[in-house]
Amino acid sequence: MNLDFSGVIPSIPFILEGIKVTLAIVSMSILLGFVLGSILAVFKISDIKVLTFFASAYTSIFRGTPLILQLMIIYYGLPQTFGIDISEFPAAILALGLNSAAYVSEIIRAGIQAVDKGQSEAAIALGVPKRLMLLDIIFPQAIRNILPALINEFTSLTKESAIVTVIGASDVMRRAYMVGSDTYLYMESLMIAGVFYYVLVSLLSFAGKKLEVKLQG
Amino acid sequence: MIQINNLSKSFKNNTVLKDISLKINQGEVVALIGPSGSGKSTLLRHVNGLETPSNGQVQVDGVNIFESDKNLQDIRSSVGMVFQHFNLFPHMNVLQNVSYAPIKVRKLSKELAEKKALELIEKVGLSDHIKKNPAQLSGGQKQRVAIARALAMEPKIMLFDEPTSALDPEMVKEVLDVIKSLAHTGVTMLIVTHEMNFAKEVADRIIFLEEGILLEDSNPVEFFNNPKTDRAKEFLAKIL
Ligand SMILES: Nc1ncnc2c1ncn2[C@@H]1O[C@H](COP(=O)(O)OP(=O)(O)OP(=O)(O)O)[C@@H](O)[C@H]1O
Ligand SMILES: [Mg+2]
Repeated sequence: MNLDFSGVIPSIPFILEGIKVTLAIVSMSILLGFVLGSILAVFKISDIKVLTFFASAYTSIFRGTPLILQLMIIYYGLPQTFGIDISEFPAAILALGLNSAAYVSEIIRAGIQAVDKGQSEAAIALGVPKRLMLLDIIFPQAIRNILPALINEFTSLTKESAIVTVIGASDVMRRAYMVGSDTYLYMESLMIAGVFYYVLVSLLSFAGKKLEVKLQG
Repeated sequence: MIQINNLSKSFKNNTVLKDISLKINQGEVVALIGPSGSGKSTLLRHVNGLETPSNGQVQVDGVNIFESDKNLQDIRSSVGMVFQHFNLFPHMNVLQNVSYAPIKVRKLSKELAEKKALELIEKVGLSDHIKKNPAQLSGGQKQRVAIARALAMEPKIMLFDEPTSALDPEMVKEVLDVIKSLAHTGVTMLIVTHEMNFAKEVADRIIFLEEGILLEDSNPVEFFNNPKTDRAKEFLAKIL
């Protein structure tokens, strides 16, 4: 085995330049996934049949097909069919965010429904309207179930964000691959990307644990 | 006044209440008794719309509570309910549990709601615990908070669904004492209970249900000494 890190050292700044892209894609898709996922979760627990149907169909489709397919449909498929031009960056965010929303909505729905039924009955019996009941009674309790699973989801989104490399977004993954093919030091440059993802994911989990402890306390 | 007319309730194919008609006057104290699964809770839960009838009507003071969402909402804020498992809000302290609905539903000012809540908390003997969370209370204390929480809405009807069944024996009395102190103060009380002595002592009326059928409706003396149906005799023989 021979690894030659000295050959890739000059390219490290180039690879790390991708951090900005990766972080931007990850944070914006988390935001999109969270907002859209919350809305879908509200649809799922609403009494309005069309909305529950829409939300469960959405979830079923986005969970039932590969992420990379969704990404390619958005980047290559939609422009061809609808004649709209979409560049890598928004396409990546859209695909990751829309996909994540499906998982987020399930996490939030399950967290809400895991709250003891006695809680909503007590609120209903006191005449508390549904919106207030969700906001003041159910949600503060559900958050304890939701948060750990949500951190999990966003950690895996961070890792999966590397697939945006296939549409040419110049994230850490793509840059590492480019350096690899330039220098023929694939192993070394990919390992640098690996360290980056590992650190990022560890930081996220750590922040998640902190937040969890704070919420329990 | 509560008037129940030909109430039937089925869950899927399982009919759990069969053509029940019943009239309860304001201020009456009624004990609902019967074997497990006879439909006591289900009947009780129709009075505040936690269950919806398959057939028949429930009227409170002449208002058909299932006629509109507004009726239901109005009724709920004037019917208090105490559950077997307390169902206190775990993320709120005692004072917040009791003052939440008056503030958010009846739109009282925080000061006024808390002042009233403190009076009620004192009435159930928990003044030393107002800042505690439910998790820090004993079962008996939790149930007393739950009673105060229901009373804070100044209900004209109070529903109790086996309020002492989840309690350790030594805590039953403190809760029953609080309930007794409410009886005959003007509020109508419907109590599902397995505490026969308590029912005998506090109730004006005993209603006996079996398999969803209202079998007896009489005063305690008559019911306990001289039950009309064999089913009630068997039930009493088993339980006393
Ligand atoms: N939400 C529900 N869905 C389906 N079946 C139900 C539901 N609630 C109650 N039942 C059924 O209705 C019947 C009556 O139940 P209910 O809880 O009213 O009895 P109960 O007299 O209160 O019994 P217990 O003394 O055990 O509390 C039971 O057979 C029960 O399984
Ligand atoms: Mg019951």
